[in-house]
Amino acid sequence: MSLTAQITGFVQDVVNAMGMSLTARAEETPDGARINLEGEDGGALVRRGGEGLQALQHLVATAFRKQLGDDNRVVIDCNGFRRDKDAELKQMAHFMAEKARSTGVPQEMGPLNPYERRIVHLAVAEDPTVTSESIGDAFMKTVIISTKK
Amino acid sequence: MTPMQAVVEVVARALVDKPDAVKVTETERRGTTLLELQTAPGDLGKIIGRQGRTAAALRTLLSVTAEKHGKRAQLDIRD
Repeated sequence: MSLTAQITGFVQDVVNAMGMSLTARAEETPDGARINLEGEDGGALVRRGGEGLQALQHLVATAFRKQLGDDNRVVIDCNGFRRDKDAELKQMAHFMAEKARSTGVPQEMGPLNPYERRIVHLAVAEDPTVTSESIGDAFMKTVIISTKK
Repeated sequence: MTPMQAVVEVVARALVDKPDAVKVTETERRGTTLLELQTAPGDLGKIIGRQGRTAAALRTLLSVTAEKHGKRAQLDIRD
């Protein structure tokens, strides 16, 4: 069985144990596997900024850390909540990069978790005239977007 | 087995090296479900995680489960 199939099976076991009517479906994206939970009980996972989904993401990443290694990542989604939020964050990063470029004033985003910072750094890197940097030493950090000197 | 007990057991078993040593017991006290999680001594750190992040995630998933079933739950991690 592939690793993605194993992880999908585990995610399904977890939501079944929770007594949630949700179905886990995996898809491969250029950025790794994405496992989307679909169904009527999705609201419970995405409530309060998606803290339940985020907890599930952390537990899956921890349980499969050895098998996933450094190069593979898996994203757990629920009714497309994560995908939409990531798209929004990427759009915001592009907007802030453009603002930093046009005004010359460094722009701040955050505090963001490591997953969110990665999205911002990748979005900013698409424009060679701007650069991004994480500030802080806690789990959540602020990202500064500024023009390259 | 209640969904609260089930979710703690399924997740805890996936986190540890010795899944057979995972034991979850459940007691009800004044409307709150108290869950006690026991693991092999060497596996405790795997449940807690760096800066307690894994334990926090497990507790969050437990509250989501409890809330869905109209309950309140508390998790005790024992070594």
